[in-house]
Amino acid sequence: MLALFANHEERDMELLEIKGLRASSGGREILKGIDFTLEEGRTAVIFGPNGSGKSTFLGSIVGLPKYDITKGNILFKGKDITGMSTYERTRLGIGLAFQYPPSIKGVRLRTLLDTMNPDKEAIEHTSEILDMSPYLDRDVNVGFSGGERKKSEILQLMVQMPDLLLLDEPESGVDIENISLIADALKIILEKDKPIKKRKRSSIIITHTGFILDYIRADVAYVMVGGRMLGCGSPSEIFEEIRTRGYKECQKCLEEAEKENHAA
Amino acid sequence: MQPKVDKDRLLDVGYDPGIASCGRFLVLDHSIFEASHRIKGLEVLPLADAMDKYPHVRDNLVFKLIEKDKNEFSKTASNLPPVGYYIKVEPGVKIDMPFQAGFLLESAGATQVIHNIIELGENSEAHIINGCTTSQQTHKGRHIGITETYLGRDATLGYTMIHNWARDVDVYPIGAILVGENARYISNYVAMTSVKKTVSYPVARVMAGGSARFYSIIYSRRDSYFDTGAKAILEGDDSSGEIISRVVSEGGTAIARQMISGSSPGSLGHMECSGLLLGNKGVIHSIPELKGEHQDINLSHEASVGRISKEELSYLMTRGLTDDEARSLIIRGFLDIKIKGIPDKIQQIIAEVIDRSVSGSM
Repeated sequence: MLALFANHEERDMELLEIKGLRASSGGREILKGIDFTLEEGRTAVIFGPNGSGKSTFLGSIVGLPKYDITKGNILFKGKDITGMSTYERTRLGIGLAFQYPPSIKGVRLRTLLDTMNPDKEAIEHTSEILDMSPYLDRDVNVGFSGGERKKSEILQLMVQMPDLLLLDEPESGVDIENISLIADALKIILEKDKPIKKRKRSSIIITHTGFILDYIRADVAYVMVGGRMLGCGSPSEIFEEIRTRGYKECQKCLEEAEKENHAA
Repeated sequence: MQPKVDKDRLLDVGYDPGIASCGRFLVLDHSIFEASHRIKGLEVLPLADAMDKYPHVRDNLVFKLIEKDKNEFSKTASNLPPVGYYIKVEPGVKIDMPFQAGFLLESAGATQVIHNIIELGENSEAHIINGCTTSQQTHKGRHIGITETYLGRDATLGYTMIHNWARDVDVYPIGAILVGENARYISNYVAMTSVKKTVSYPVARVMAGGSARFYSIIYSRRDSYFDTGAKAILEGDDSSGEIISRVVSEGGTAIARQMISGSSPGSLGHMECSGLLLGNKGVIHSIPELKGEHQDINLSHEASVGRISKEELSYLMTRGLTDDEARSLIIRGFLDIKIKGIPDKIQQIIAEVIDRSVSGSM
């Protein structure tokens, strides 16, 4: 009985818990107090206009040095990681697919993957799934098209197998055929073949177009505007609302909510 | 008598008896310990012996590309009996297996003066790897190295030089190359360890259809001073030159001088000099020069000096690499010049030398 109870506790554990997060870059505040939680095995999607702070949000979770966390806490697997370096967070199980990954001259993709994971067979196999084998002996992202860069990001995540995947616009600039390859790879990482209760890995997906949601089911959606997270809801409903009414309406909701807060 | 040779230090510069080679040459201070060749059509002799045996060598090759009074170092060399190799490859003989040469400065404070002559017959091919180093206990000394290289028509020479001197050694290699019609000359220069001063500026004259390519990889540590580069003079029609250098300064000085001049139609020249500054103390001074004397030529250069990109660093750290691991991966990548036309074994030796030095300094 006790064992069952413990098991139940574990299953309900929040993988990621963020409280009152404020972050700035170059002295300018971008995230203005964010509360956010994500359970094990769940996929959250974040919509939001350009410049609303979505990339900063993901960057702050993984600890990119260009963002300063000025207030609040990030808990991952119950540990406070707010002060940890990027690689410590990565080793705890956080992985980020960049929206605009840099090119690294002279470093072959294979060399980087070998450094991340010594299992050469896994690397070969994973590359095949993403149709990336011919790119292994090229320099990381050098001369890659937009779509190839995105596939290279997903390939790296697949080799890394993090428990929390942060995906920054994984489908932008990718043609339909390759979006489906990317989605297939993500489904493998996110164990989408398993029943929801058995999935361990979670993800946060930023998307502009929402295309990726045709392939990967998200459990919950958020809207981010002006460095704040608006209420969450069903991904399809929220996406539909943004499509028909635009972010302006969401902005209004935010302002009203703020007024109410002030009044209270 | 078996010489007392610092084998480990020689191994570090690619002088490895375990590697299949077509011949070997080893100098300890001023003494030649080995001069051997194992392939028909390849002849290796101490230069002094070659000058006695072949009047052609004495009359047409020695101090013909480099003038005796070019500078104080050539003068010094011209006043001493020559110590060094004469390598001759017969026309049509193509040797894929590397030839290994080692120059070891054994006694502290010694001045080693070397004179080498390389002669490749028409349509022949050879790959020479020179390793230059001091013995473990020697930190002080001087090395002067004169190398005159003659490539016949359609010949190919890969010439690799790995320097692993010590903090109080000054080094003056003087090189001149005559690249015959349609011949190819590929030079690789790798210097990853401390040195007091290295000054080197080989000059290639390239005949019609020929090509000269110079690649150098320099890592200038604290108190080291490098003034290195290369010059390609494109004399013949449709000749080409390429000079590429990657220079890292970890507190030391590195001057990269490069020049390509062209005076014949169809000539093509390209140079790249990339500098990476680690820390605040070092200096990288890139001096690229192009000179065109005919309208139908195409010469270009790219140069950059900068630091490791923070964006690249944090990108690699999101892949689980520590700051040091990420830096060393980026530096190794920066130093990785993809050289075409040299045997895999030599590529591998160069990669190992770089790996060892970069991971050792992190």
